[in-house]
Amino acid sequence: MFFSLPMSINHHIKKTMNFFAVFVLAIAFAGCTGGKSDKGVLKLPMGTDAKTLDPQLVDDLYSFEATSLIYEGLLEYEYLKRPHELKPLLAAELPKVSEDGMKYTFKIKKGVMFQDSEHFPGGKGRELKAQDFVYTFHRVADPKLNSGGFWIFDGKIKGLNEWREANKDKETVDYDKTSEGFKAIDDYTLEINLTTKYPQLMYVLAMSYTLVVPREVVEKLGQDFANNPVGTGPYVLEKWMREAKISYTKNPNYHGTNYPTESEAGDAAELLADSGKKLPFMDRVELLIFIESQPMWLNFMAGNLDRAGIPKDNFSSVIDPATNKLKSEFSEKGVRLTISPSPDVTYTAFNMVDPFIKKAGPKFRQAISLALDEEESIRIFANGRGIPAHTPVPPNIPGYDKDYVNPYQRYDVEAAKKLLAEAGFPGGKGVPELEYEIGKSTDARQSAENTKRKLAAIGINIKINVNQFSELLTKVNERKAQMWGIAWGADYPDAENFLQLLYGPNQTPGPNGANFQNAAYDKLFEQMRFTYDSPERREIINKMKDIFVQEMPWIPGSHRIGYGLEHKWLKNYKPGYMGGNVAKFLRVDEEIRAKGVK
Amino acid sequence: MFAYIVRRALYAIPIMLGTTFLLFLLYNFVGGDPALVKAGKHATAETIATIRAEMGLDQPWYLQYWDLLMQVLKFDFGRSWSTNLKITDMVADGAGTSFSLTFPVFVMSTCLSLLLGIFVAVKRGSFIDKGLVTLAVGAQSISVLVYILAGQYFLAYKMGWFPISGYEPGLTERWAYFALPWLIYILIAVAPEMRFYRTIFLDELYQDYVRTAKSKGLDSNTILFKHVLRNALIPILTNLIISLPFLILGSLLLESFFGIPGLGGLIVKAIGNEDRPVIYALTVVGTIAYVIFNLISDILYAVVDPRVQLK
Repeated sequence: MFFSLPMSINHHIKKTMNFFAVFVLAIAFAGCTGGKSDKGVLKLPMGTDAKTLDPQLVDDLYSFEATSLIYEGLLEYEYLKRPHELKPLLAAELPKVSEDGMKYTFKIKKGVMFQDSEHFPGGKGRELKAQDFVYTFHRVADPKLNSGGFWIFDGKIKGLNEWREANKDKETVDYDKTSEGFKAIDDYTLEINLTTKYPQLMYVLAMSYTLVVPREVVEKLGQDFANNPVGTGPYVLEKWMREAKISYTKNPNYHGTNYPTESEAGDAAELLADSGKKLPFMDRVELLIFIESQPMWLNFMAGNLDRAGIPKDNFSSVIDPATNKLKSEFSEKGVRLTISPSPDVTYTAFNMVDPFIKKAGPKFRQAISLALDEEESIRIFANGRGIPAHTPVPPNIPGYDKDYVNPYQRYDVEAAKKLLAEAGFPGGKGVPELEYEIGKSTDARQSAENTKRKLAAIGINIKINVNQFSELLTKVNERKAQMWGIAWGADYPDAENFLQLLYGPNQTPGPNGANFQNAAYDKLFEQMRFTYDSPERREIINKMKDIFVQEMPWIPGSHRIGYGLEHKWLKNYKPGYMGGNVAKFLRVDEEIRAKGVK
Repeated sequence: MFAYIVRRALYAIPIMLGTTFLLFLLYNFVGGDPALVKAGKHATAETIATIRAEMGLDQPWYLQYWDLLMQVLKFDFGRSWSTNLKITDMVADGAGTSFSLTFPVFVMSTCLSLLLGIFVAVKRGSFIDKGLVTLAVGAQSISVLVYILAGQYFLAYKMGWFPISGYEPGLTERWAYFALPWLIYILIAVAPEMRFYRTIFLDELYQDYVRTAKSKGLDSNTILFKHVLRNALIPILTNLIISLPFLILGSLLLESFFGIPGLGGLIVKAIGNEDRPVIYALTVVGTIAYVIFNLISDILYAVVDPRVQLK
């Protein structure tokens, strides 16, 4: 050997290795023993961080969930009832509606206090007044704020569009001069005056956009209000650690709502064990943000989360495919499975003003629908977590008809070829390569490859273009996309929210990305949109579905089904609730949790 | 020296112009319209137009680029399009977290790699050398993801030695959450580093001056630590200093899997949300870091090797 190893190196290496061993063990020990107690803390996962805690700017489900613990609106959904029903939250009772349906009068609950905050004089929250709603609702229409929620009031509230227009060019928006549409008659009476019948108003009063905010705090904090929320809700923001955790503590001045006393037939009796008790149950709530699914899953399995979804990669190890039930190793530990259809629809849209798509006609689109096997897609790409969609309207929404059959929502290659020939494209001859726009997720790519293979079987070639979300939206908005895959989730539980996606006046840049225009459909939509659920309304909806099937501006994909797991110590969880404030209803049995996952 | 530093600092200007211009071109002429994302699913033409104006996207491209240069100059990138937070605060918070995750483990893995590098170089051809090098090649061949997934599953979930994931901002609280990422970092970093340092030390150990020193009767300790290590410092410094920007910009995978809110995750999220001001800010921070650390590296060359002259 050219060089002998000096003793000092051996010494250094030994010392270094010893240092590492001691260091890592010490840290690990600290990790195992130094954690905070979980007692009284509800721990729930979130797939991504909230974007904002300013309710009028909330545009996604995660932000809605995070915001709804702090803020409240006039109404909320009945926690245990399906289909959803509304009940008063900050309203003292359901509103009085004038005979012509154009005026809603709300009585506001007395004695509701905003949360204590340094931004109020003396740090004490003040009482909620009807004027706060007038301010909040105008804020939705504030031309400087750019709330994504203006559509809920656009053209429907007396004087509001004019108010928005008048303030457009002003340096500061004038909230002292308000519209006729929102009026505080006195401190506890709010009047809403409409320009048209608008039954969905009740639903939008339970949405994030209408959660009430205190004007003086908003004005004091400006843009920083989004990070310093002050509401009337059951929880106060303790800390928002971006991309890691949002923690809340119980609001000591909460006005108090009670756990429901009624549920649906078929619900487990234990769902009513806390009937009538004052909410919320837990002292603290932590929403833990997981960018990756493995740590979320392992944390659930270790008992560090009270409930969780089932990651795609773990699905087959949790659910028995033969029975669609939990495997015994989970059920024996007391883990419970919850299954609930999501109020959404996935679909492949056609751009109906694209020259080829327009020329090709409905038979061409129906043929494509027949060539695609939605059941197989659900099985392969979603672990079976979905049901094939026959129309845009999903289950659990009034207007959904489980017996309504779309004859083109089935896999039949021969029928597809026949229809394609009838459309003037025998064997796909004359069909140019179609451009298929998709998002950039792995699932979207895999599913698109499957679509490509299926369409090749009837002689149609597609080119898959992978897009960032903004690119996809831009192509749709500029009417450059030919066909694309996308989904729609309910804003509120009404078929109108789905059927408006094909209403002619809603063409791009509105939500009718397919640019579908059909006079009969539009007429029926106008008849239906401002009516309440009734057999007549459902008949109109079915007629609209018939037009949808005949014209096939989209190929409906699936209505997704949410699978979730909860530990035996978590009480009161009922899936499918459309409100964001589910945490206030949940309770942890600390005795069971203390024993851990066994 | 001072003139050299000033000159190198001035080189940063064209580098910054080039970087920002390329990035600007990429996002303004290739990507989609971020106003559509912000406007939401019920967007109207009016809302989209207002948001575009608010974002400055209604301006001619050269004015938008000018605004970007002014932001770089003032180091004020405004607010995030996605979260509405002040970007300087977001970057400062994220960089602090990333640095506290990466710096201690960087020092640890560097010391360990250097010692192992010397050790196997000195033991060249022995069973230990072959064994450690084989082990290092094997370790390098395994994906980082495997270390993370296996570490989380076996060491954290099954054995319960570490928290599975999580983060607490307090200085004393965060270390417990860093232990497993550190261990994984060391496993990932030491193998290639050790092989790199081994090559450097082997180069030096066979130089004439080492043979001369040995024939003069100097002890191995003096030769290794006074002469060999010093002569090997230039490539070592280069390797270390070009790694330094990463200490601030963070480790994407470690941060994502362990739920640590550093700059790595921020970059990915900003790209996903097309949050251009944040992307611009982080690119500028990265560019500045590379320019500064390259300059420091050049200066240190002259410090450790008097034959190097800075001109």
